[in-house]
Order: sequence, then structure tokens, then C-alpha cells
Amino acid sequence: GEVPRPRGVSLAKAALYQPQADGKWSCLDGSKTIPFTQVNDDYCDCADGSDEPGTSACPLAQFHCTNKGHQPVEIPSSLVQDGICDCCDGSDELPAVGCANTCIELGAAAAIKRRNEAELHKRGAEKRQEMISRGKQMKADRAARRSELNARIKEQESLKVEKEQLKQNAEALETEAVEAFKEQQRELDAETAQAEQEPQQMRVEASLSFVRYDTNKDGFVEVTELMVDMNLDRDRNGVVTVEEARYFLDERDRMDLDAFVTLAWPRIKPLKMLADGLFQPPKAPAEEEELPQAADVEGAELHNPEPSEEQADMETGAAGEEEDDGEDDEDQYDDEEPDVGVGEATPEVETTTAAPAYDPETQRLIEQANEARNAYEEVARQIREIEHEVKEIDEQEGKDYGPHEEWAVMDGECYTYEDREYVYTLCPFDRVSQKPRNGGAETTLGRWDQWIGEGASKYSRQKYTQGAACWNGPQRSAIINIKCAMEPRITAVSEPNRCEYYYEFETPAACDSDAYTASAQSMHDEL
Amino acid sequence: VDPTNFKTCEQSSFCRRSRKVQSSGSKYALIRGTLNTYTDSVTADLINKENHHQFTMKLEALVGSTFRLQIDEKQPLRPRYRVEHALKGKPETAQIRVLESDELTITSGSAKAVIQGDPFRIDFYENDVHVVSVNAKNWLYFEHLRQKAQAPAGEAADGGDGAQQEQQEQNSDAVQSPSEPIDEPGTWEENFKSHHDTKPYGPQAVALDFSFPAAEMLFGIPEHADSFALKSTSGTDPYRLYNLDVFEYIVDSKMALYGSVPVLYGHGPQRTAGVYWQNAAETWVDIYTTETNVVSSLVNFVSGSRKSTPPAAHFISESGIVDAFIMLGPKPIDVFKQYAALTGTHELPQLFSLGYHQSRWNYNDERDVTSVSAKFDEYNMPMDTMWLDIEYTDGKRYFTWDKFKFPEPLTMIKNLTELGRHLVVIIDPHIKRDNAYFFHQDCTENGYYVKTREGNDYEGWCWPGSASYPDFFNPVVRDYYASQYHLSKFKTVTEDVMIWNDMNEPSVFNGPEITAPKDLVHYGNWEHRDVHNLYGHMHLMGTFAGLQQRDPNQRPFILSRAHFAGSQRYSAIWTGDNMADWTHLQHSTKMCLTEAVAGFSFCGADVGGFFGNPDAELLERWYQTGAFLPFFRAHAHIDTKRREPWLFPERTRQIIKSALLKRYSYLPLWYTSFYELEQTGEPVIRPLLTHYPLDKEAFAIDNQLLVQQRLLVRPVMQQGVSKVDVYFPAIDDKKNGDYWYDVDTYQRQERAGYESIPVDENKIPVWQRGGSIVPRKERQRRSSKLMLNDPYTLVICLDRQGKAAGTLFLDDEKSYAYRDGKHIYVSYEFADNQLTNRFIGKPQYKSEAWIERIIIAGLGHVPTPATITVNGISQQLEVEQRNGAIVVRKPAVKMDVDFALKLNN
Repeated sequence: GEVPRPRGVSLAKAALYQPQADGKWSCLDGSKTIPFTQVNDDYCDCADGSDEPGTSACPLAQFHCTNKGHQPVEIPSSLVQDGICDCCDGSDELPAVGCANTCIELGAAAAIKRRNEAELHKRGAEKRQEMISRGKQMKADRAARRSELNARIKEQESLKVEKEQLKQNAEALETEAVEAFKEQQRELDAETAQAEQEPQQMRVEASLSFVRYDTNKDGFVEVTELMVDMNLDRDRNGVVTVEEARYFLDERDRMDLDAFVTLAWPRIKPLKMLADGLFQPPKAPAEEEELPQAADVEGAELHNPEPSEEQADMETGAAGEEEDDGEDDEDQYDDEEPDVGVGEATPEVETTTAAPAYDPETQRLIEQANEARNAYEEVARQIREIEHEVKEIDEQEGKDYGPHEEWAVMDGECYTYEDREYVYTLCPFDRVSQKPRNGGAETTLGRWDQWIGEGASKYSRQKYTQGAACWNGPQRSAIINIKCAMEPRITAVSEPNRCEYYYEFETPAACDSDAYTASAQSMHDEL
Repeated sequence: VDPTNFKTCEQSSFCRRSRKVQSSGSKYALIRGTLNTYTDSVTADLINKENHHQFTMKLEALVGSTFRLQIDEKQPLRPRYRVEHALKGKPETAQIRVLESDELTITSGSAKAVIQGDPFRIDFYENDVHVVSVNAKNWLYFEHLRQKAQAPAGEAADGGDGAQQEQQEQNSDAVQSPSEPIDEPGTWEENFKSHHDTKPYGPQAVALDFSFPAAEMLFGIPEHADSFALKSTSGTDPYRLYNLDVFEYIVDSKMALYGSVPVLYGHGPQRTAGVYWQNAAETWVDIYTTETNVVSSLVNFVSGSRKSTPPAAHFISESGIVDAFIMLGPKPIDVFKQYAALTGTHELPQLFSLGYHQSRWNYNDERDVTSVSAKFDEYNMPMDTMWLDIEYTDGKRYFTWDKFKFPEPLTMIKNLTELGRHLVVIIDPHIKRDNAYFFHQDCTENGYYVKTREGNDYEGWCWPGSASYPDFFNPVVRDYYASQYHLSKFKTVTEDVMIWNDMNEPSVFNGPEITAPKDLVHYGNWEHRDVHNLYGHMHLMGTFAGLQQRDPNQRPFILSRAHFAGSQRYSAIWTGDNMADWTHLQHSTKMCLTEAVAGFSFCGADVGGFFGNPDAELLERWYQTGAFLPFFRAHAHIDTKRREPWLFPERTRQIIKSALLKRYSYLPLWYTSFYELEQTGEPVIRPLLTHYPLDKEAFAIDNQLLVQQRLLVRPVMQQGVSKVDVYFPAIDDKKNGDYWYDVDTYQRQERAGYESIPVDENKIPVWQRGGSIVPRKERQRRSSKLMLNDPYTLVICLDRQGKAAGTLFLDDEKSYAYRDGKHIYVSYEFADNQLTNRFIGKPQYKSEAWIERIIIAGLGHVPTPATITVNGISQQLEVEQRNGAIVVRKPAVKMDVDFALKLNN
């Protein structure tokens, strides 16, 4: 039954509002003793406001709405008897105000809402569970891969030491042999020399290169041995692919010195020269044995064909990677295309230059040195590749994908939202951006920074910072407020502050049935 | 602001010409035998002895020790503009007695004017004390209208009318003195930056000097971001009065701002007098003050003379006539009332408008408005009004809404209204030139826009892009404008939504000095030059009429940026686009004090500063200052960070909350003060000199203000201080002061002079004067409307004789019913240990409110229970001590009931 207690006092505090035997009562803070009749007499006697739980007389007082059928609440005394019904049971206002008791309806509606939410969280949690498993799998995969890479990197490091030794040995032999061969060549008579100078020079250059490429010193230059030479990265993507390397080897897997001199060197030489910054097309009448030091205009005119379309594309692609905003640069390159001439690489240049003819023994040593070099470079390249992958994995590991990795699967996804003027994008863990619907450039609103939800709801809010700077203002930033739903989507975007964006985002990753049930339970317990 | 965007006196040819007279003087004299005497006035003709041009002079006596002096050309080539609608009505004239001897003496009551014929001069006396002189310096300068001299024949663009030209030259020769500099550049056309002023009517300036022999300092002529006491303009530009939209204005400056109120006061210990220079054209005011510095004291000492040149002001206007009201006091409050008698007062505002206003450019959409309002409830902070700046409109088309951001304004408004809150929306005067916009269609079809010289609709650039400006000088346009506020037209608001009129200088982004060109043409064929400073005023007339017609039962609330003398009858004002820095905070009290004595008691500054981001301390101190200025609104530029109180740390939120609660607790005082302003013309906030006219040290103090004669406020307006110097003014020249009681502790200040007062972050240094009774409401509500029935607390602070008195006014806080007597107006008096009430007029308003407690400070002892007697029935009341005061518990007497409360020893 109802425990008699002053208006505005909760059942839990009813015991505190009992008159003493002499009819007096002490303020709850003990500051004063007043007649019990002065409790709720619409005059504030106690410093803590405890004598007026049911009126607006004390600024610090709280009024307890029982709200039977719904949730009880404490409201500040400023809302008591102000003509506005704040408690659903209407208890904060005098009967004259005529507040309807809406607690039953509200309670029922709240129960339905809670049920629906619980259902949503439950169903969403199933999806979340999938995301968790996938996320955990991804994490496990990353860990496995990471340790695999660790092992491999160790392996490769020791291999590298080994290969370096082999390379040094082979190169020593090669140098000796080539020096000897050169000595022999110098002894040939002048006419012969003159007649053969040019092809001989080509051959010497080619042979030296052959020896350098043949790092395993097996007398063949192999695809892998070429792949270590970044000068041969024709598309400038940072890696010399098998395909690229095979191009230089006339689509073969390996080549001996003779084939190298005739078929591979003419293709490689221009790129070498380009790398040296001194491109000069091969020329027929070579006067000296050394590599050319300056561009020969005449020779260029004779031998420089129009660049192929493929090459032009290559260049554009390379430029595009260097600079972020491609539009202007592309124009720039288009403009320059017709001007290609002296100083431009022409890998497909035709040449009839013959390779120098080493004696078989020297040839063999050169090949062996090339192989050793190639083998060494191959190991070094593999180590670089592994390190790159390790870095990527570590970056992902550094991101907080939630306590159960449930957010991991969203890294790499993007979601969009359109309003009247803009298309807004959210790529979780990467960036948020905005693009005018009627065209125009995309503006970065922020890059992934961190989770910023408070306390237990840490994973309900993300912050993206360091976006494009506003004119005369700060760098843009965005806050993503996240709710549970069956499908991931952005439901609203606003800009409450200039250059500070606010996304409403829904995803099953936020559906935590247990947490929801727990909070619902604690609310129920209060009831 | 870049000051070079605005003219200096040198760059303004009429100012340059008129100012020149200060070195040479002028030669005006009355023409003998032209004197006519009437019951309330005299007229005579005046001649410029150099060019023989003739003028008429009229001196009229008005009730309340005021004279009106008008000088116009006797036969002007075309009529010269006379200001309309600034006066609240035709001033009531007073009978005069005229005594003619060498001089002409005109007496009306205690006021006397003595006119000297040659050189022309008038001296004004109040009770035989000489308080004002007109033209004592001989700086009267009146450029008569004239024909433009034709270019010499050789340079004439077209020939064939040589004879006519010759004739004109002869005509102009007849009236022109060769010495008059009317041919210098800028007289018949003038350029400023890329703008060209055609000046078709040529030179037509009017200028006159006023001296104040009984004064030691001058104040008035708002609006300037400057000290309350006017500074000498010797060596600087004059103060300028020309309504302008100034971005990030400079403080300590004589530059023109948004409003122009050409009223100026001279004050000395014995007498205060004033001059209202009624002219709506661009006006410059030179100030001559006797700077009391070491040099001048030395000079006086050496010369053996204490008499020095009295302070003087030289008013210089571009066109119009001389129309000056000379108000003779004798006391400061008398002059303020004399000015109010001419131009009127703000009527009693609705109570809500005295509460706290929450504004920002912009609250983005309905959800934003609703959630900001809800946050005030969440943090249990009172707030009365949400504001919407220009972004709520459909593309800056006023009287429309952005349907996407505000799809259901009526629902949003209802949500506010249900909590006792209000909405104010902005309506600016510039009209978007969009053929699909009804307002533009109507104005175009009906010819309602201000015209160019050629007769086309003037087109300027403002928020909507290309815009035109309704000609509010045309009564038909005002009627049309007023009708737009009707709910049948503006359907997306309710009768509770009030209006903010901004940009009404008018602001024209691409115009000369960011306003309209002077050669535009208004209704009645007046040039914009003639009426510029009145444009905002006429705009307000339209809005005010519109709101009254929309709901005749509600008192309109309008906030305006531009203003002129008399605009206070229609609107509150704020100090425009200030900045978030400490100097602008300091200028909020200086500027509002000047506005208050110039009729605009309902004044405030954007709390927090419009431009820039205030730090927590500045925002806290600004809220504390704003809480004691009549108009209390936080506002911010669109590019600033959000600064609603809860976005700051808890500590700051608490400080702001306590400032808000303090404001709300004093609403009964603010409300009563505004009622009394309407009744008497006495400003709500006042400079110290108002009630301490003898204390020279107090004259220039503008970081302290009085609320009526009851509170002394000295807001903390410096960064990082732990104490402030407060000046407690003297009531006589012997350093005797009133008692002042700290309103938080009831600690008493008994001595006049400076006191260093410790201040913590929560402290707003405010004292209640001993001898006053202040009504308060100490219960907290979410809005003022919900406080209607809340009980009152009377705070009684005793003077040296143990006495105090004070009034309280209450009514329905919203309608005009108070004018039919539906109010309670009561005076409380405390003497001989007894509090009694006396109703002024019969209490005819039925109030649920009652007196919940009576606080008495200065009693010296704690009495045993008090006895209250109502209708012959007595009852004992508990008395307890609270700080330095005693509290009488729960008299519980209704507001319309007579009672007597006796303290027993």
C-alpha cells in the first residue's frame, strides 16, 4: 500500500520524512530544526532545500515523480507548479492545471519501444556476431601472417648475407677476367679496332652489365636478376615485375651473354642512360669506349623515333602517382607529349649494335657474377616486400576495431549520404568527405583519428580530424555518432559549427544485445 | 574595420566648409523691425551680412523649461527638409512674456531666453543661471540653396542658350558673396572612393554652436564606441552621426556607427542642460571641452581667473534646417525627462523581453532550435527567447521560411511557446530582386522602392545579392509593410513571434560607405541625403504598426540596429557587431549609458561578442555584465565556434547559470523600472551623475551604472582580476555618501570614494542603495512567463535615518490592459521599524502572487518576531538572520492587499 509521505518524496526517502515526537523535523543536512508542519509549506527553510520536496520554494530541491506505470524521475523544483506538466502522472502540478496522467500510455509505448529496440539489438547482434568472427579471423590472419613474415624476414636476412658473399666472390673473378680480356682487346691492331670499335664498345658495355646482372654467376641473366634493377621499372610503380623483366629478356626466362648483348642490352641501355640522367641514344660511330657523357644532338636526330603511345601513358601514370590532383597535371603532360625528343627515354629504340665477343671463359665468369648479383638483389627485394607488408599489418593492428574486432570489416568500406546540396562519404577508419551534388571538387572533412565516446559507450562515437582547412578558419573535422541498425548507413549529416561536421551512422556493429539488456534491466530494477 | 572605408571630415566637403568657420566666424544679425511676438513664440528675420541672404528665425517656448529654435531660409529655391516622426507628437507650447530693450528677453516659467540682434546670439537661463548659449562663438553657418553656376562658355558642352546662362550667373551673383567657397571641389558633386555623388542641389549645409556655461563636461550624441564623457575634438575629427554598418568597429573612436541620436547634454554641479539638434542628414559634432589638465590649471592660476571658455558643441549637418531644442534642466534627471517629453520613451515591454535571449547566426534548423531550448532545461538554466538570424529564410527572402531546414515552423514555435518561451525572427529591409518573390513583385509594380535620380528602382547589394529598398518614408509603403506581418499574410509565425530589424542603416554592401548613395530619391522628392539617419526609424514605424495590427492586445517587441531620436518608441537596440574582446565588453556599459540618456534605456550588447571566440573567462564576465544591462542577449557570428553555456566546462556553466538566475531574480525591478520609464521618462539605467550631480569625480565614470536609483552595478570587465576599484559617489561636496549594501552579503559601504572590492569568479559587484526597496523573485523557472504567479521577496536597505522606500509594478506582463488601469502599482515605505504599502491608483489587476519574504538590511539588531497586520488581523512572523540582514518569514500577503509589518524590539 501507499506509505504516507510528503508530496514530492520518493518511497525510498519516505522514512526520512517522519516528525519527531515533539512535532519537529530536522533538515536532511541537519542545518536546522523546524516544525514538521513547515515541510512543504511553500517556504524554504532548509539550506539544502529538503523541507520543500513538493513545492518550488527551494532552488536546490528535487521533486520525485512516482510515475506509476512508467519510469519515476526526479525533476528540479523549478519545474514544480509552473503550469507545465512535467511528470507523466501530473503530480508536479496542482489539480487545477489539469494534467492528464499519461504514464500508462507512455509506459506501454516505452515498453514497446524497449522491446523493439531489444529485438533490433538482438537481431543486429547476430549480424554483429558475424562481424566479430570475421574481424577476429582477420586479426588472427594478420597475426599469423605477421609471424610468417617475421620468420621469412629472418630467413631472408641470413640468405642475404650468404648471397652477398657469393656475389663478392663472383665479382672478383669477373673483374679479373674482364680486365684480362680488355688487355687482349687493346692489343688488336688499330684498323680492326676501328672497324670493330663500335660493336665492340657495345659489347663491352653489355658484357659489363651482363656480369653485374648475373649475380649468381651461372652465366645467365635471369628474370629475377633483372627484377632487382629499379631502373627497369618501366611503369614506375616501385616494383620490377616479372613481365617487365621478361620484356628485356625478349620474353625469355634467361639469357646467355651473346643473347644478352644482342637482344637485351639494346633494350636496357636507354633506361640505364635515362637513370644516369644523360640519355643519349645509341649511335653508330662510337669514338670512345666510355659511356657517352653528353647528349649528341645529331645522333638523337638520327635515331630518336616518336615515342610510342604506351610510353606516353606510362609517363602520365607515373606523374599521376606523384601528384594527388591529377587533372591539371594530365593536361600538362598532354601538352608536353609532342615535344618529346632529346632527353626522353625510348626503350624500344632499334639497334643493330653487336655484342662484344668475350672469350668463353670470361663470358662464363661474367655470367656467374651476374647471377650472384641477381641472387643478392632478389633477396634484398624480398626483404623490402616483406617489410612493406609488415608495415601495413602493423598499421591495421594500431587501429582500434573495437573490443571484439567487430569494426574491422568496415575498414575499407565506404558509405554515402545525399542531402540537397552535397554527397557525404564516410570510409570508416580512413576518411570522411563531402562533394557538391552539382559537381565540383571533393573536400576532405577529416581523416581517422579516434573513438571519442564517453566511458562505457566509447565505441558510439568516432572523430575524424585534419580535414581540408576552411577559408579563414580551422581545419575541418567530423564526429560520427553511431547507433545500432540492421544495415550500415548514414542517416543524417549536419554542420552545427562552421567546419565541424556531425554524421549519424547506423551499423549492426553497434548492436550489443547484452549491454542493451543490462541497461534495460537496471532501468527495470529502478522501477 | 578599415577606417579608410569611411569618410573623414576632410573628405566630406560640407564638413570641411562648415568647420572652416571656426577660424573666421560668421556674420548673422537679426533684421530690425521684423520681430513678431506670439503667445508662445517670437519670430524675426535674420540676415547673413556678407551675402545678404535672408532667413527666418523662430523661437518657441515649450512646457518643461524647453525652447525650440528654428532657422530656415526666408525664400528657399526649393523647400528644405524638416524632420518628421522623430518627435512623439507636436510639442506642447508654453506661454511667454517678452521684454524688448537692447536685447529681447523671453520668459516662460523659470526658463528665459535673451536674444541679441547683432551678432545674432541667444543666451538661455534657468532660474537666472546662464546654462546654454546659441551662436556664442558665431559659428552659425547656413548654406542657402542656389543655382549651379554654368561652366564658362568656352567649356560649355552645348551652346545656344547663352542668354539664359548669363541671366543665371547674374542671379547667383546677386546672392553670393565672392568669399563663399561654394566653387571648391565637392560642392556640386563629390567623389569618395569609386562612388560619385551628383549633388544636384549643391551646397546646403547648416551648422550652429552651442555653449554650456554652467557645465564642466558634455555627454550624449550616440552612437559611438567611446567613453560616456565626450572628448575634445580639437586635433581630431568631429564625432560623426551617420547611420552606418560598421564591421568589427574600433573602440575609443568618434567614427559613426549604426545609430544617430543628435542629443547632447552639458553637465556641471549646479546645472544640467541639453540640446536636441533635430536633423536627419549626415551630421558632425565638434566638441570643445576645458580639459582640466596641468597646463590649463596653471594658466588659470597665472591669469588669476577660474573662468575659462565653457564647453561647447558645434553641430554641422549636410542639409535640412536648424531645428534645435534647448532643454534647460536644471537637474540631470530633469533634462532626460525633457528629452523624453519630446521624443517619447519605450513603452512597457513584455516581461519576456527583459529575460535572457539566446541567439546565434544561425540556429540551423528546427532540430537545432528545439535541442538548444531543451539543453537549457537539461541544465536547469532559465532562457526566454530563441532567435533566428537570416538563414531561416528561403534565400534571404523575408516573410518566407527555408522549407527544408524549417519544414514546420508552427510546430517548432508551439514547442517553444508551450514552455513559456518566445521566438524572434529577423526581417531586414533589403528586398531580394527576384521576380518570383511576391514582395519584390508588389514593390516593383507599385513603385514602393527607393528611386535613383533617374527615377528607376535603386538596386544595391546585400545578403540576398541584388536587392532594393522599400521607401518607408511613404506612408503607403509603411502600410503595405505593416500588413505583411499580419498572420493572414505571414502564416508561418504566430502572434507570439517577435521581430528583429537589422541592416536598416540601410546597409548596402556595394554602396558608398556601405550604405545608400545620397542622391537617391525618397517619397516627397526628398534626397536620401536629407533623410538618411531616419531610414531605420521609418522601417521600425512600419514594423511596429504591423505587430500592433497583427495582435492589438500584445505589446510588440522589436530589436533594431539603426536608430534615430524617437526610435525608442518602437524598439530596443543593441550595440551592433562588436567583438569578443575585453575592450568591447568594457564599451558595452559606456555605450548603453550614453544610449540610455538619449532615450534608449532598452539597450544591450551581444553577450560574448559577435565576432571571434571568447575564452571562458571573457564569456563569464560578459554574462555577468549583460545580466545588468536592460537588453540581455547572447549572439555570435556564423563563423564563430558554438558557445552555448554547456559547451564550456562545468565551472563556467555554473557561473553563467548563476548570472542568469541573478538576472531573473531582479526581473520585478527591471519591469517596474520600464513602467516608470514610460510614465516619467526617467532612464532605467543611469550614469552616476544622474543622482550624484555634485560629485565631479563621478561625472565621467562609465564602468559603473545605476539601475534607477536603487542599484549600483560595477561589472568585472577586466581579465584576471581578483579585485576591482569601485567608486561610491558622494551626495554633496563634503564626501558624504549614501549607504550601499552588497546584494550578496548585505555588507555595507558607508563612505564615498574609491573602494577596492575583492571579486571571485562568481562575483558580480552590485550594491543596493540604503534608502531603497527592491522587489525580487527568488524562485527559479525555465522562463519568465512561468514566474507570473511566483511570490515576491522585498529587499529593504535602510539609509542613515533607518528609512527606505521603493515601488513595484505588476500586470499581465503582455497586453495593453495596464493602460486601462489593470495593474498593481504600489509604493512600499519603511520607517520607524514599520513597513507599509501605498497603492498608486487602485490595484485592478488580479494577481496570484504574494510576498514570500522580506529582507531588511541595516537594522542593527535582530528583532523578536515581527507582526503583520492585514485587515485588522495581526499575526506573528518568524525573523531570522541571514548574512548582514534579517529575513521576515512568509508574510504571505497578496500583492493587492494593504498591510503593515511592524518589527518588535
